[in-house]
Parts: sequence; C-alpha cells; structure tokens
Amino acid sequence: MTTADVVVTGTDARVRTVAVTGEVDLSNVAGVEDRILDATGNDLLGLVLDLTGVDYLDSTGLKLLFTLAVRLEISQITLELVVAPGSSVQRVLEMTGVGESVPMRTAD
Amino acid sequence: MRRLPTMRIVSITEGEMPPFGGSTRAVRTPRVLRVIPGAAERARWLRTFDPVTDFQNSPSDVDELLNEALDGIRAAVSADTAAVLLLDPAAHFLVAAAARGVESEVRQGARVPVGKGFAGRVASGRAPVIIDEVTAESVVNPLLISAGLRTLLGVPLLAGDVLVGVLHVGRLTDRSFGPADTALLEEIASRLALALRTRTTRSEREAAVALQRSLWPEALPAVPGLEFAARYVPAGNGGTSGDWYDVLTAPSGATWVVMGDVAGRGLAAAVAMGRLRSALRAYAIEVSDPVELLDRLDRQLQHFDPGVMATVLCAVLDPLGRVMRLSTAGHPPPVVAVGDGLPPVMMDLPVDRPLGVGRLRPRRATRLALPPGATVCFYTDGLVERRHRPISDGIAALEKSMFGGHAESVCARVMADLVGDEPVDDDVAVLVMRRLPVDESRSLVTRMPAVPASLQPLRQTVRTWLGDLGADRVPAEDLLLAIGEAVTNAVEHAYGPRPGEVVLSLVAEGDLAICTVSDTGRWRSPRGTLRGRGLTLMEALTGTLDVARGDAGTTVRMTRSLREGGR
Repeated sequence: MTTADVVVTGTDARVRTVAVTGEVDLSNVAGVEDRILDATGNDLLGLVLDLTGVDYLDSTGLKLLFTLAVRLEISQITLELVVAPGSSVQRVLEMTGVGESVPMRTAD
Repeated sequence: MRRLPTMRIVSITEGEMPPFGGSTRAVRTPRVLRVIPGAAERARWLRTFDPVTDFQNSPSDVDELLNEALDGIRAAVSADTAAVLLLDPAAHFLVAAAARGVESEVRQGARVPVGKGFAGRVASGRAPVIIDEVTAESVVNPLLISAGLRTLLGVPLLAGDVLVGVLHVGRLTDRSFGPADTALLEEIASRLALALRTRTTRSEREAAVALQRSLWPEALPAVPGLEFAARYVPAGNGGTSGDWYDVLTAPSGATWVVMGDVAGRGLAAAVAMGRLRSALRAYAIEVSDPVELLDRLDRQLQHFDPGVMATVLCAVLDPLGRVMRLSTAGHPPPVVAVGDGLPPVMMDLPVDRPLGVGRLRPRRATRLALPPGATVCFYTDGLVERRHRPISDGIAALEKSMFGGHAESVCARVMADLVGDEPVDDDVAVLVMRRLPVDESRSLVTRMPAVPASLQPLRQTVRTWLGDLGADRVPAEDLLLAIGEAVTNAVEHAYGPRPGEVVLSLVAEGDLAICTVSDTGRWRSPRGTLRGRGLTLMEALTGTLDVARGDAGTTVRMTRSLREGGR
C-alpha cells in the first residue's frame, strides 16, 4: 500500500508550510490532495510545499502539483516547492517543466 | 554464398512454383488431397481432435476459443507450435491473435503484410504453404526463426469465400508436414474460420452499438436563450447506422447544430461517423462559416476515408441566437416553425452534394432569422422515409406534426406522429431547437464553477438576457461589466484552491434589472494589483451595490435600469 503523510510544519500563519513525506501515486493522490487543500485556506498569502521527504512521485502527483499551482495563482496565493537536492523528485519536476511554472528551491 | 535449402520431392506438387529458391511449396489443394488419406482415417484424426471439433459450442470469447483450439491442433498434427493470425479489417495485415509454443508472436503484436513471407503468402494465395526449411529467406517473421522452428505448414482460415486469417503449425525437428497433415489442418481451419466469423460478426455488432452510444452527446449543452431536445431510435433489426447529431458552443460564442448520416451500417459506419464527428468538432472551433466547415470536412473525409459518403447539415447560430446560417451536404432541410400563425414548413434550403463525392460546384449557405419562439426540427431520413410511402408524404406528415413550442414537447409529438408504434427499418434521429420566447427569459438563474473559464460563457448568458429584454446599449454594457466584476471576485477570492461554485441570478422587474451573484466561500479582502477596484467599479456602474458577507458565503446584489438615463 502506498502511504504518504501530510503535516503542517511552519509557524507563520499567513505563509503556511506543508510537508509531504512518503510516496505519492494513483492509489493515494486523492487523499494527499485533500489534506493539502485542508491546510490551504483562502486567507493564506502563500503556501510552501515541502517535498524533501517524498521518495516517489509519479505523473498523478505531478498533475496534483500543476492543478494546485493554477488554482493558487487564481486565488493570488503564492506557491513554492522545496525538494531535496539531487533527489528523484527534483529530477522529475525539472524534467516535466514543473520548475518552469512554479518557483522551486532545494532544501538547505 | 547463401546456402541453398534442400528440396523435398512430394507426390502432390500441383500448385505454384516455389518463389524462394525452392524452399517452400505452395500447394493448391488438389482434389486428390481431399480424399487422401481416406475418409475413415480422416474421421479418426478428427476424433482425436474431438475436444474442440465443434467450435460452435466452445467459448464465445475469441481468445479463449483460439487458445483451446490451438492446443488441440498441436496434438492433432504433432506440432510443437501453432498460431493463428487474423486479417485486419482493412485486409492489409495479418496480426497474431493466439499462439502456442511461439507465444512471443502475440506478446510482441507480430504483424505480417498480406502477400509477404510465409503467412502472408498463405493469405494472398488462399492455399496451404509448406516450408521444409525455415530460413530468413522463406519467412519474414524473425520470431519463427528464433523459436528454432525447422518446418512449417500454413493454411488459410476461410469462412466460405471470406478470408478470416491464417492458421500455421511448426515443428522443431526436420520431420516435414505431409499431405495428410495438410488435409487435416484444412479441415480444422474451415471449422475454426466459421466459428471465428460468427464471433467476429457478433462482437462487431456489439462494438458498433457501444461505439455509437459512446459518441452520442450525453447531454446537450445549455445555451442561454435556446432550448434543445433530441431523440434517437436505432433501427429495429438490431443494426446500427452512422446517424449522429451534435450541438456545440464555440469559443466565439457561436453555437453549432449538426445532423449527419454516414452511409452504410455496422461497425465501419459507426467508426467513420466517430471520426467525422471528431473532425467536425475540431473545425467548428476554428471556422465560423457552415460552407467552410463542410468544405474542410469534405477534404478531410476524402483524404483519410476515401469511399465513405455522408450527408451532413450544418447550422451555426450567432452568439445571441438570433440568426442561423445553414448549409447542407445532401441532408434533408429542417422543418421550421417561425412566427405566429404561420404553418411549419420545410425550409427552402438548397441541398448541395454529400461529403465524400468529389467537387462539383461551390456549396451554398442560407440565412434564417430566428425571432423569439422560433422552433427548428432537424432529422435524419429515417424519420420521414418508409418503405411503403414516398418521402414527400413523410415530410408533409412532419410539417403537419411540427409546431412552435417547447423543444421536448415538439420532439415527443413528432416521434409519436411519425414513428408511433412502428418498428423503424432505419435509424431515426430528431433534434429540435427553439429560441426561448422573451417572457420565459425575464428571469434566469445560472450556476457555474468558480474558475476563469466560466467568465466568457457567463458574458454570453448576460448579453443574451439583456438583448432579449431590449436593454439600451449603455445600461447593457454597464451591467455586463458589473456582473463580470462580481463573478471575477468570487472566482479569485472566495474559495482558495478548493473548487467552488458561483450562482448568478438575473431578474427583470419592469425596466429594472436585479442581479445577484453569490458564492459559498469565505470572504476575504480583495488582493492583487486591482485591490478593491472591483467593488468601486460595480458601485459606479450600477448605482446600487449591496454586499452581504456571512459564514455561508458572500452575496452581491446590484440593480440598474435597463433604459438609458434611468437608474
């Protein structure tokens, strides 16, 4: 079974940091999306999505990121992705052009 | 130097000259082969093949049938491998459908052009072929070589005169196939071919029905100011034809209404219809003229589907739904009920050549004004054509049955009068379109997803509503912008990344328009480069603005006179 965890880690009430850990594929992407949306009210100014703890992210996870980015842009909420340097998630995001449309930085 | 394969002398050599250096023999199934090895012996062989001899009682699934049959065949002719390749619908290729011993043929989707290689020659010659020594020259499929096959026997799968595919068996040893093997395999092949044909015909019919169902619009789009209703009844004999209708809105705000009929029946007609429908949709968002759309469709059809003929009626309505332009490629003109007191008539529309039959003369388009209440009935010939009565009688009956009224009621009446309880011998499709009368459009509630893509269709709705009420130009522009701002606010601010809905309610009381835009999200102060300007603008445009914010959502209410100078 594919499992992933979604937790709110930041302390800033206006720019929320949400960390996803584990694996994301078709079997659990809906739950992951739901929990990210739960953590993202329309009162936020920005969302930082920390993907450093994600070991596996397939095209369904990419679709989630693209959809989220489009929707947040309409709502004028900024989105930033954080990935582990040299990780497979970073490569996938760069290869598929997510990095072109969403600000992305590597974790320190 | 290429090693010459050994020739094998056989007693029965009536047939073609071997085309590849003597390595193969094409056997023309001489009469003598039919009686060799004797009826009694042949009967014994067929008994050994008993488990699947009666293919008609075997599994209805083609894959299961073939796999079961191949096991029996392998045992019957002492072969190491057995495979069936089926002819593709266009009869250009043989495609591996089932295999025993050479399963990779199927897994790799092996395909052999008809006329080429071993199986290809069995198919083109419609006669058995024996290969005594498998070499790269005698077979094109490398899988047969890599499987280590030494000798091969292939027979055509013939259901009567119809070639269904090829059955071939192979041995890993040098022991060649003889006339007795050929006779037995041909006997089996003829039974298998009939069983396959039956199943293919049945599954094609099922596929055609399923395909056609999937292509009919699930629901007709909601177009402001218009209403649609449709009926489709497949022919009573269980077949399907290529009838289709479509209603689609283009990004320009124009609405296309299409009724068409691809000549022919069954899966081929349904597939051609599906392609035509997709092509039409692709062109409909690019062009605005029915003649141009039909011309493009005609070129597309003649290029990619030569031999297919279709009749298509194309109508396009301007964004306000006031004027329709029609052009017909061989399709019967609609019957229209326009204006009070005038009897419904078949529209005087010049009928140009159908699609797929060459260029003769330029197509023509005709304009039809649609006053409020105008009702138009599109149909396929199945509605008006019956074996026992001329088409002109059918059209007269339709004119008599048709009336200006609710699209659903018109549809129901027309079907009752023209089809009734009769089973139809051709598909019947009916599509009725009506421009809503003004009194039914004074109030309007429309719900839309809170996304930017909702804004354009929304403006269309508001424009049509204002137009139907005869609003003056400046108030109409003011209201359009004010409502647009209110909906944009809901899209941008109400929901965050979660999906949400916006509800627009428009009510006209005398000359006063009352507009309400509500969402169920949480209000937040506007942000962005035009922070707060939307509200200012709405107030300036309408004069009265009331914003109610609560836990259940935000409702914006604006009123504005529809008359210039009024407030």
